[in-house]
Amino acid sequence: MTPILFVKLLRDLRGTWARIVLMVLALSITLVVFSAVLYIWGISAREIPRDYLSTNPASATISIEEGPDIDQMMTIRDEARQQPGIIDVALRTQFKVLIQAEDGAWSPYPLQIFVSASDDPMRMEAFKVERGSWPPAVGEILVDRYSLDLLKLEVGETIVVQAPNGKPAPLRISGVVHNAGITPAFQEQTGHAYMSADSLTSLDMPIQLNALKIQVADLPDLTVPSRDREVIVAAARDLAGWLGRNYGLAVDEIQVPTPYTHPHQGQMDSLMLGLFAFGMAGLLLSAILVATMLNGLFAQQIPQIGIMKAIGARSGRVLQLYMLMTLTIAAASTIFAIFPGILFSRALAPEILTLLGIAAESLTAPWWMYVVVVAAGIGIPLLFALAPLVKTGRTTVREALDYRGVDRQGDNAARFDAGLGRLPSLDRTVLMAFRNIFRRRARFLLSIGLLASAGAVFIAGVSTMASLQSFLDREKELRRWDVEVQLAEPDQVPAIALADLVAEIPNVTQVETWSIIQTSVIPSGEQFSVTRTYPDQGHGSISVTVVPPDSSLVDPPPIQSGRWLRPDETGAIVISNARLPEELAGVHSGDIIQLEIGESLTSWQVVGTAEPVGGRGGIFITQKGFEAATDMSQPNLLRIVTDNHDEQTRASVAQAANRVLTDAGYAVRTAESVSRAQAVSVGHMLPLILVFLSLSIGISVVGFAGLASTMSTNVLERTREFGVMSAIGASASRVRRLVLLEGIFTAAVSCVVAVIPAPLLTAALIGNLSLPVDTPFQISALGVVVWIILVVLGAVLATLAAASQASRLTVREALAYL
Amino acid sequence: MNTDRLLQKEIKSEHQQQAGESIIDLHQMMKTYETPSGPFTALKDINLRILSGEFVAVVGKSGSGKTTLLNVLAGIDRPTNGTISINGTRVDSLSESQLAEWRGRTIGLVFQFFQLLPTLTIAENVMLPMDFVEAIPAAKRRTRALELLESVGIADQADKLPTALSGGQQQRAAIARALANDPPILMADEPTGNLDEATRTSVLDLFAKLNADGRTIIVVTHERDISSYTDRQVTLVDGRIVHAAKR
Repeated sequence: MTPILFVKLLRDLRGTWARIVLMVLALSITLVVFSAVLYIWGISAREIPRDYLSTNPASATISIEEGPDIDQMMTIRDEARQQPGIIDVALRTQFKVLIQAEDGAWSPYPLQIFVSASDDPMRMEAFKVERGSWPPAVGEILVDRYSLDLLKLEVGETIVVQAPNGKPAPLRISGVVHNAGITPAFQEQTGHAYMSADSLTSLDMPIQLNALKIQVADLPDLTVPSRDREVIVAAARDLAGWLGRNYGLAVDEIQVPTPYTHPHQGQMDSLMLGLFAFGMAGLLLSAILVATMLNGLFAQQIPQIGIMKAIGARSGRVLQLYMLMTLTIAAASTIFAIFPGILFSRALAPEILTLLGIAAESLTAPWWMYVVVVAAGIGIPLLFALAPLVKTGRTTVREALDYRGVDRQGDNAARFDAGLGRLPSLDRTVLMAFRNIFRRRARFLLSIGLLASAGAVFIAGVSTMASLQSFLDREKELRRWDVEVQLAEPDQVPAIALADLVAEIPNVTQVETWSIIQTSVIPSGEQFSVTRTYPDQGHGSISVTVVPPDSSLVDPPPIQSGRWLRPDETGAIVISNARLPEELAGVHSGDIIQLEIGESLTSWQVVGTAEPVGGRGGIFITQKGFEAATDMSQPNLLRIVTDNHDEQTRASVAQAANRVLTDAGYAVRTAESVSRAQAVSVGHMLPLILVFLSLSIGISVVGFAGLASTMSTNVLERTREFGVMSAIGASASRVRRLVLLEGIFTAAVSCVVAVIPAPLLTAALIGNLSLPVDTPFQISALGVVVWIILVVLGAVLATLAAASQASRLTVREALAYL
Repeated sequence: MNTDRLLQKEIKSEHQQQAGESIIDLHQMMKTYETPSGPFTALKDINLRILSGEFVAVVGKSGSGKTTLLNVLAGIDRPTNGTISINGTRVDSLSESQLAEWRGRTIGLVFQFFQLLPTLTIAENVMLPMDFVEAIPAAKRRTRALELLESVGIADQADKLPTALSGGQQQRAAIARALANDPPILMADEPTGNLDEATRTSVLDLFAKLNADGRTIIVVTHERDISSYTDRQVTLVDGRIVHAAKR
């Protein structure tokens, strides 16, 4: 690089400062998006396992049907610790209660209380005490930090809860904890609290801990919990057999969640996939943007390249000059992007992690990610500029001197133009603008690619949200009841009595009694059921829904294979593949499976697979089949229809049903409006939706910056042409209108192009994010219309500066332009 | 013809007699372009010999092939057939990079629209070819640029940008740039086509002076009355040389 060429470089940069600023800005925005996504990914990938594993999760939970007294359980625990492959054992239990509000009503949100022995050192499934101390005194609980807001609780207050036996009991909140192993309260719409076993007496419950939490090692002498679920299952089965042989304990269920994996890891993986996809899309757009802008910048320099070569410059020198120009722009963009990227990641990462209940210890991304961002910021513009750089460098003097900013048109294009020209009523400026957009084909295609990519991402994001909304609407439509009351356990009172009790409540128009029971799949030849249930007893569990024979609250769902249940048949099940756990993943129509329902081991033939029934997935059986297989006939769930379907009526009916049933001696686990289930679905999807929205907007901004740059390049390149137009009488407003129309036509063509990838991207998002599997595919018409309006308005704004620049050119300036 | 010009011609005649050797040799040269409507032959069977120190005008109507001939001579275009030998170099066999370097050392080019780089000052424009060729030591380049600008009469404009100069001044600056590496041949494409009468005369006088100093000059022009300045005129009609007689 000679000193004079360096001076030329600096002056060229200064001379086109507006476009350079635009280019640096657009590149910086993309880099900020990309780097923020990358840093969040890095932070999340480190913090989620760190925080989750800091709880020292149990490898498995062995749930015992009828727990012996606490002293005997402690002896069993100590013995169990000596069993081969068992690292540690703890005694726990859990149950749900309702909280009484100030007006005496029961809160719609249940509080799940986890109980540990008072001498439990809390090595396993531990939590971090943020206020107060462990163990809390008798009659006191520690509440999870996210539950305080949901349940509107305060430390120091005494709450009244409805104990599992239905009776009210006071509990004082003595502190706050954070447990990364439990999903946050706002996502599951359930609060979480912790108490010592001694406090069970405050709830008039026997001091019994019926769950053995165990940690399993790969080999007997190891002290690191195994990552191999099969090893854990085998050890837990051995221990369950040992409990039966030595203490006569009946094991209800063995719960082995995926080792070392947060309950919302799937959701997080989807989120990361989404982030990664958008990060990549951002990078791709950035690359297109770089190619578009630099191509334009180099094109503008082509006449000067011709002169330089005519006076002795070799291709290498020219290449050197423009490579340095590219490097300068890339380096400036990277410098401007690096700190905002860090700031954004530090602002967004805690928000995203909070949605999953994770508290970040550090918001510093891994060091190599900063290197990747700098390398991408400098390397990608260089890489994508390479083709235009080499092409520009190799421009011969002849090509440079002949350069007029117009590609040679083929015969077809010429015929098309001629055809357009023959349209009688077409305004000449419109005709010219339309022809002009095709003059620089490569640049036109790059601009279209940029805007169409942004459009496809935007439409796909909005369509995914619309698909999810459509799913929620359909779920709402299928759920024809307003209130669900879950009883603590199946009762022996005839169903008709339950229904009659509730039917008396004002505003209730219909009551149906159902049964929904937790089950587990028992492989053939095995003694114990092994599930993937997490400690919150929700994630990973499978339920059996008994469909009433004469139900008017659900219609048979759309069948995916086989058929729906016949009212009188027994031994038949239909599986809904919504949120299907792994145990049932390979099951097809015609297969026989074994389920443990209550205390019975039952055998069933799968007669069909279907979409969810009434918004619920899992396994469906008939009432007859349920009675024949289990000797149980009584329901544990009431579905109530109210006359007004508003929230106020639903809430008051839920309260009244709870009161009436409790007064009648039933233990009510939950009584809630169906809106809560919807809130749970929305709670799970909210992080994804927020991320899509913000990234779509970011990418759109980049698209418009690209268009602005392209139009600015087009105007500069055609400076002489505008001079000629002015010389032959074109007014400033006509020149401005011409350039604006070119921008609008480019945007319009990009909308047509965006229609092709948008459905594919939508399908990919629906297929790969952890949306319900039966989320319907749909393209949001509103999204398409909004994008068309946005892109046209954006195009006008992006072109305005270039149009006004073109209209201000004087004939003298234009003709003197090199 | 004024006295100065007569004197210059006498001096030059002595130079030519001393040299007497050709600096440019074109043999059976042909140039064909591919166009959408088929191949178009712009130059046909060109055989041309130009002696060192000659001042040659290439004349002809629009589209006769004048600029194509100049472009081929300057290595801007490549011949389709035939050979071109300039100052002992077979130009038709050089690569693009070799051509650029060769052009920098051998040819000084002057364009109709001056084509000065707009972001460099006049002095920097003149220094740029010296940077490219590196035949003149870096420390002496500015001094030489100022000398050249002095010789074309615009030394006082050295640190201005091209847009601040008149058309005649810009063309003088372009001539100074063409002389930067002291090339033996100066080629100009319609160098006076964009100038008023007074400026045109002063630019042609400058060419005559440079020619008198021994430099070979080839000028493509529409103007037939340039003959008072040149040694001979090469007339092109439809891509063929129809007249290449000495004046």
